Amino acid sequence: MAFGAATPTPAREPLVALRHVSKSYRAGTYALRDVSFEVGKGELVFLTGASGAGKTTLLRMLFAGERPSTGEVRVLGHDVARLRRRTIPALRRRVGVVFQDFELLPRMNVEENVRLALDVRGVPGREARARVFSALKQVGLHQWRHQDPRSLSGGEQQRVAIARALVGEPSLLLADEPTGNLDPALTIEIMDLIASVAARGTAVIVATHDLALVGRHGRRTLRLDAGRLAGDAALERVSV
Amino acid sequence: MRRALAIARYVLRAAARGLRASAASAAIAVIAMALALLLAGAFGIAIGNMAGVVERVGDRLTLSAYLTPEVDEAARTALAARAARIEGVQDVEAVSPEMALARFPERTGVSAAPVELVGENPLPASLEVRLRAGDRSPEQAERVRLALEGLPGVAEVSAGEDWVPGYTRALDFVRGAGLAIGLVLAVATLVIVASTIRLAYAARRDELRILALMGASRTTMRLPFLLEGLAQGACAGVLALLLLRLLFVLARPAVEASLAFLADSAAVRFFSPAEAVALVAGGALLGLLGAALSLAADRRA
Repeated sequence: MAFGAATPTPAREPLVALRHVSKSYRAGTYALRDVSFEVGKGELVFLTGASGAGKTTLLRMLFAGERPSTGEVRVLGHDVARLRRRTIPALRRRVGVVFQDFELLPRMNVEENVRLALDVRGVPGREARARVFSALKQVGLHQWRHQDPRSLSGGEQQRVAIARALVGEPSLLLADEPTGNLDPALTIEIMDLIASVAARGTAVIVATHDLALVGRHGRRTLRLDAGRLAGDAALERVSV
Repeated sequence: MRRALAIARYVLRAAARGLRASAASAAIAVIAMALALLLAGAFGIAIGNMAGVVERVGDRLTLSAYLTPEVDEAARTALAARAARIEGVQDVEAVSPEMALARFPERTGVSAAPVELVGENPLPASLEVRLRAGDRSPEQAERVRLALEGLPGVAEVSAGEDWVPGYTRALDFVRGAGLAIGLVLAVATLVIVASTIRLAYAARRDELRILALMGASRTTMRLPFLLEGLAQGACAGVLALLLLRLLFVLARPAVEASLAFLADSAAVRFFSPAEAVALVAGGALLGLLGAALSLAADRRA
């Protein structure tokens, strides 16, 4: 597997745009350094790099969990550095997030976990139920909607988390090591599901250190190395 | 509007779920708050009754304006009408020498027989002047005394200097003690609610983090906790009211028997419906305030 020479520039108006972004928590040390890239509608982008390369910091900036020390981060038209605390929720309601450890709430069943994303958006009951059913059907779990999520397998729990991220119809989906806790077969299943989301027009950024997974999809890949953007290209598609 | 209603429904569901999830600690908090409100309510009932007793004693206490022998019945009635118009006076009773003699044994505890033996009634006519409930201060009593002394035909005024300061002190003490005890118990209730909500908040930190990531506003995340505090306070208020009623029914006969010496002051009363509602509403308000304090202490909430 090797980096190819594909042109990474998105053809349409970027949904995500970073310009010379640096993040420093302590003077002299950088979690991110002079990172610039853009992501357009319907793009699936992998964010790779070793542990500590800055992947999670970058993702956190994209849902306004962090502010850049310098540079500009624009997400869905908002300048993250200038967002006021009370306007952050409005941005987050347009961004879906999926985590490695699923982050499902044990006191709620599958349906309630997914519905939470609509509850905070103020979607009325009947519409919310229909959308939750549709999202769960999309990930093949509608028949388990009344189950306790702890009774599901890791792959099923991650599909619930994806349904929760998608049910609000986000413009941008962020996934932080979404297959990190899954076996290879489930990894392929979950990544195919995430790729199908991009195919429907949502911009998707997946942070992973699994290069085999990246190679299997042959999509644009941003490689971070010690906080710097060391590569922005498409990995050649390989069979896994 | 539909969005606001949907969020309100979510907030109610989240508060109910939160209470279910921390049912044991919520129940302990409700019981502890109910005990604090029970104590406050018991003091409230005691103080209300004590104030009532003091007020009723105050009703019986009068300033006496003794009239000269030249004042006849018609003049006495006219003087009573003038006295009734003095600022701070509730009512005036014109007392003839005959009425004074008839009341003599009751007022003094001394038999009227020696007076009757004399053959002539030595008691003067008088005006019995009652002050309004809010005007029973030594200063007001002195002002009324001076006004009465200025009336024609008034020989002497007994201003009741012996009872007015004592009465005022007693009423002030009862009210002051009630306020102090109420404040202490209110602070105790606030601390109980604040601690419970803080525990509930800590237990649901993960849930709140996920909600924040999904775009829940700060208000949407905080409201369920405020509602939980409100519900706990209201439940504690209702529980305290029921316990108070039970204790009142059980203790009433003994209390009334022990107050029988106060004659008409012996009827002990419970909260009026408005006061009962105020106790429950007060509990709910303290619960809400406690929760708000707890959330305010955590700036991330």
